[in-house]
Amino acid sequence: MADSDDHRGFLYHLHHQPAPVSAVQWLPSTSPFHRHAVLASPSALQIHSLSSPNNLHLTSSHPLSSPITSLSCPPNPSSVTLTLAAGTSTGSLHFLFVNPYDGSFNSDSVSVSDKSAFHSGPIQSIDTQTGSTGESITVTAGEDGRVNIVTLGGERVENIRVCESEGLAAYTAVKWGSEVEFVTGGVGPGLQWWDTRRPGGAVAQFKGIWGGGMIHSMDIHPSRKHTCVVGGSAGTVFAWDLRYQNQAVELAGGSKSRVLSRSEIWEVKYDHFAPLISSRNVLPVMVCSEDGFLAVLNQDEDPVQLLEEPCAINSFDIDPQNPSDVIFALEWESIGILSRGKEAIAMD
Amino acid sequence: MPGMPSDSTSILPFSLESSAHQQPPIYPLQHRLSSPLSRIHVSWSRGNVLHVTCLRPPPPAEEQEEEDESMDGDGVEEEEEVGGMAVEVILGGAMLEGEIREEKKRRIAYESLKSFAFLNDKKMSLAKMEETDMNAPSRTYWWQYALQYSRSINDLLSNPRSPESLIQDPRIFLKEGEESSATKGAWELMEIFYVDIQLLSWLPERLVDWLEDYDSRLLSGTESTVHSKLANLQRKLAKLQIVEDDSDYWSGLASALSVGWLHVVVKLLKLHGSYDLDQMDNRETENGLVEAVSRLITEMPRMRSDNNTPDEKLGVFYQTKQDYIKGLEEWRGKVSGLESTSFWLQCEHRKTRDGLKSLLQIMLGNLRIIVDSTFNWVELLISHLIYIRPLTNGLEGLNNLAEKCMQLKPSSNNNGLAGLLIAIISENPEVVLADCLKTFGPWIVAHAVDLLTSNNEYIDAVLNEERYNLGGTSIGEIYVLVYAQALASHSLTWQVAPAYLSCLNQGPGLLEVLLLSQPVQNYRSVLKTLEICHLYELSNISPQIMRNAGMNQWKHGNKALAIHWFKQSRDKTILSRIAQQLFDFVGNSLSDQSFKQLEGLMELLGSDIGTAGGLDFLHKYRDFKKALQQIIEGGETDATRKITELLIQLMKNPSTPQRFWLPLLHDSVKLLEWKDRPILNVSDTNLLLGKLQELSMAKLRHELQEFAIGPNALASIRLALAKNLGRAILQES
Repeated sequence: MADSDDHRGFLYHLHHQPAPVSAVQWLPSTSPFHRHAVLASPSALQIHSLSSPNNLHLTSSHPLSSPITSLSCPPNPSSVTLTLAAGTSTGSLHFLFVNPYDGSFNSDSVSVSDKSAFHSGPIQSIDTQTGSTGESITVTAGEDGRVNIVTLGGERVENIRVCESEGLAAYTAVKWGSEVEFVTGGVGPGLQWWDTRRPGGAVAQFKGIWGGGMIHSMDIHPSRKHTCVVGGSAGTVFAWDLRYQNQAVELAGGSKSRVLSRSEIWEVKYDHFAPLISSRNVLPVMVCSEDGFLAVLNQDEDPVQLLEEPCAINSFDIDPQNPSDVIFALEWESIGILSRGKEAIAMD
Repeated sequence: MPGMPSDSTSILPFSLESSAHQQPPIYPLQHRLSSPLSRIHVSWSRGNVLHVTCLRPPPPAEEQEEEDESMDGDGVEEEEEVGGMAVEVILGGAMLEGEIREEKKRRIAYESLKSFAFLNDKKMSLAKMEETDMNAPSRTYWWQYALQYSRSINDLLSNPRSPESLIQDPRIFLKEGEESSATKGAWELMEIFYVDIQLLSWLPERLVDWLEDYDSRLLSGTESTVHSKLANLQRKLAKLQIVEDDSDYWSGLASALSVGWLHVVVKLLKLHGSYDLDQMDNRETENGLVEAVSRLITEMPRMRSDNNTPDEKLGVFYQTKQDYIKGLEEWRGKVSGLESTSFWLQCEHRKTRDGLKSLLQIMLGNLRIIVDSTFNWVELLISHLIYIRPLTNGLEGLNNLAEKCMQLKPSSNNNGLAGLLIAIISENPEVVLADCLKTFGPWIVAHAVDLLTSNNEYIDAVLNEERYNLGGTSIGEIYVLVYAQALASHSLTWQVAPAYLSCLNQGPGLLEVLLLSQPVQNYRSVLKTLEICHLYELSNISPQIMRNAGMNQWKHGNKALAIHWFKQSRDKTILSRIAQQLFDFVGNSLSDQSFKQLEGLMELLGSDIGTAGGLDFLHKYRDFKKALQQIIEGGETDATRKITELLIQLMKNPSTPQRFWLPLLHDSVKLLEWKDRPILNVSDTNLLLGKLQELSMAKLRHELQEFAIGPNALASIRLALAKNLGRAILQES
């Protein structure tokens, strides 16, 4: 364990893990004193409880037979248990149920795995939202070029194939935009906007602004559902506005000089903590990269580096209820927690 | 057959007895299967790891059914009745490699990279400084950097100590918490002798401290040490009422004193019964003697020149040799005074009297008692340094002393830390490193090279000299290489290996091999590998990695990723070949489903790829098919002009292969039979008729490939063309 503190009032803690962590996410919390995070290690999903940034301990673990590639857990105010969805590298999707008070897994779980009807290769990305009647609606994007929507309501699981590209596309990222719309990113088609009310294909498409790189992550802000921020190869981060489909607003990389990194941007998320600048179209975003950066990007400004690690940061998540806190997974089998701002110091 | 013995004599009988000279290593397997094994399967894993799969015989059919039934209710049984077990065996691993858990070892690998890179950085900048300025004091800086490096690595090896409890049990006198590893002990020993030159003036004291931390790790196996003796005593004391009646108590005291663990001795003496408040008989004199001995121990002169001696260290500290000698003489005088006092006659407890007297003898340097109280030559050596030859100086003196101690306390195996100590004081750096490798594994050796060479130009020359018989590398480099190979053989640590390989003379070539051998199934791992290529300026091999990744994806039917990698690698040859394949594929048959595939592939490939005009034709052909589809589905008459244009263009274009004529003509039948009006005019129809004629001639010459269009295709096309020609003539006239 290692802590550090810097002049910006940041508090930073590293927690070594006995195995690599491929994905990490905060769980929607019930109180500020009971915070939990879920970690995807190669053989299990683990819930860790966090009483302060320097105190992280395992509360519950659920074994899974194949490595987890993607996690999603939407807040569900209508239910006492949280539904946690996990996609795996063998193409299966698992739903686990978590008690948000003590961070424990319920004994029951639901899995979807079918090589012909679901995914035949790795699921690269999933996104889950809660429907109007409390059901979980998960969109899954696979390297096999398939996109599925899985609805879980009570005991019942229903799977709808949205796209089957028979090897002509490999999807790498997916994100809900609204109850009925979502956006996918992949090799081949680039960015695609889908509307479940209009089946038969994507409703909009954008081939990207960089020379054939990959898309690793996307995010859509609830207040600006027409804009999607995208992070990918060669340090590229840009925003795609559905209203101006053939152009993009560059935030980093690409042809502009505002370079944070020239390597892979593994994850991008809107940063609710960074101050808003009203004159800008694109809200501030946080990114993590293969060369170890965690940074905040603003339109037309230089990137603000939060951390520079000696190894890759593979995944991160901003606590939705406490956006000053960021949890992230490092290549070298560690979890980091960064607290920004004054409350972090008060907490310690 | 390769590898087959040519005759029976090449198979040698193998017996354990005959090879006693060089004992074959035996690796016991723990497979935890209760029943006898029916099959064993052995296969190589990464590096020096062997996978052994042990299978038990399949249970008889009836039994299996019963088991299935019993399993329903009881999940535990499932675990007991596994069909087999796969075990990992690490071959040729170092003796003590297993003392550190795998995950801790990986942690050390990750973290030590920073220190290693730091030192390497400094090395380069100092070399640069020396180049520009001959008088640059690089050596003076250098040992400070090396010390900083050594300390940071030492910190890494520490285990987090559990916080000490506030209430101290008087009967607990040994340090609590997780024991330090022997690897850390080895590192510290090398730091003492090679890096921290300030320490050399009080080397004996430094060795006393070192032994206190690592005595329990000194020897492998179950041989007893002062530490193990005291640990046993500590356990025994928890149950003992009157300690001074126990002879183990007194011998434990003597052992602790002989290796200089003064605080342990003082703590133990406090347990003496004479300190009890509710005494039945008069023990005042006895208590006075215990107290006097205890006081003399706390006043023992010690030569330490560091300013921050820990509080727990007892004794009177002297900075200079003169003061120390003076203090020592004075103190010895006091000890002999107490030794010859008449109070001993009044001490009625015989064990106390004898025990205390032997403690005084140890303090006076009585070799016989010291030899009896220590368990091995290292402990004896330390006692010599404390009581008999406190002013031993230099490695030569230490070496002579050690040889004497080894004669007095011969040891059957000098493995581990004891062996390392011999190698160090006999000034043999090559043996030091070889011993380290054998005992602690490759990590410590790779990092220790810089320790050994930091202050010693002779060792620097020995280890860093390029040797012809080593293929032009140095001993130091070989050890770094061994470590890099160990790192590279594990999927989690291989990314650390390039940093070590890159500072070797032959590193770049080996790094290429490592990068090219990484798995390419997962695109994220491929991107990570490519990032390393970029970092170490090996962009020349990235195309090959991309090509490998593309091949892998192509084999698994993921055309999107495959073409992505091929395009990234700018491999025109492969892309052209794919385009050619597409071409053939289109020529053979074209259902709606496969047309979709074709369209997708062409989209992926883009337009600038392929042989001259090749893909261009396919693009036009695709447009034609698309337009035709639209017309048939929607019946749009506006599009008919566009489609005839496309058709005529395709037919006129010399790059359109002849074998596409027939499918094109066949498709055009639908246009020729357009209900409302003739779509093709007379000259267009004549052109098509001419092409049909050529095809018929080719068929007669058997040059035409068979198409899956139907036997009467030519006839029906001819009929449609003739009809259309008639309609067109009528319309135009």
